[in-house]
Amino acid sequence: MRQSLIESKFPNLSEINYKITSPYSKNYNCIAWVVGETDRWWWPDPYYQYYWPYNIPRTNTLDCFIKAFTTLGYKISTTEKYEKGFEKIALFAKNNLPTHAARQLESGHWTSKLGPQEDIEHFDLKSIEGQDYGKVTVILKRRKNITTYYS
Amino acid sequence: MHCAGFLPIKQDLSSLFKDSRIVGATGVSNESNYIDEMFADLISRSFISLSMEREFPEIIFSRLKFQWEEDTAFLSSILEISMHPSYQQIIGMGNAAIPLILNEMKINPGHWFWALKAITGEDPISPEQRGHIDEMTNTWIRWGKENNYI
Repeated sequence: MRQSLIESKFPNLSEINYKITSPYSKNYNCIAWVVGETDRWWWPDPYYQYYWPYNIPRTNTLDCFIKAFTTLGYKISTTEKYEKGFEKIALFAKNNLPTHAARQLESGHWTSKLGPQEDIEHFDLKSIEGQDYGKVTVILKRRKNITTYYS
Repeated sequence: MHCAGFLPIKQDLSSLFKDSRIVGATGVSNESNYIDEMFADLISRSFISLSMEREFPEIIFSRLKFQWEEDTAFLSSILEISMHPSYQQIIGMGNAAIPLILNEMKINPGHWFWALKAITGEDPISPEQRGHIDEMTNTWIRWGKENNYI
């Protein structure tokens, strides 16, 4: 049931290239998930209802997202290919507006939280591109073992 | 949109009704009467639904909420979620939407925070609570009780 719902929304996903890795949760979103949080929803909303690092502008732009990740030690990367010793994040955008983020796993696969739905592990980034998330627009990377927490 | 949803049913039943009259004319009057009544009942339900929607904000809210949830089910962007036309129409319902939203939040917490802030002009969420959906939900429900909305 859940799989058919996901596959109907992302037609490039099928049982051979992804798996569900968590239950449904409205408590966190993809941005929280890529930075390792599961208890709050991150978004730079101008209404100040959602979490966003206090020193980063609350504008719905790629630049604003890149700034937020930069403060966590990430830098722009030129490739989504797995590089030993690095963690990578892919930022998706539609009409140049941020929509989604995915984090690379040790296996080279990716993990995504699908809005309030489940986390999934997917083999590649293309498989979740489309109507909802648009396309991968920016890849960021940082050395492993850098840990920065926001309060 | 609501009307369109009923049209195929109405058209199907019209043909059924027509056929049944023929059967009725050949002597199967009980069946004919039954279909007659069923058809009349369904037609009246269609009209009642339309008029009820005008009178009862619960029905409008329910329809808009369903569409909003369906279209935003996989989104993370609060901008996209909150700018959805159905969500904006709920905001446009004004004060009538407040108890409906708060009662909905009791059973099914969701991203109603923009709507509540926009309609009420209030913001009971503390900076520490931002993004914590359950805490934000509880805070708004408490606010609703204190202000006699629920």
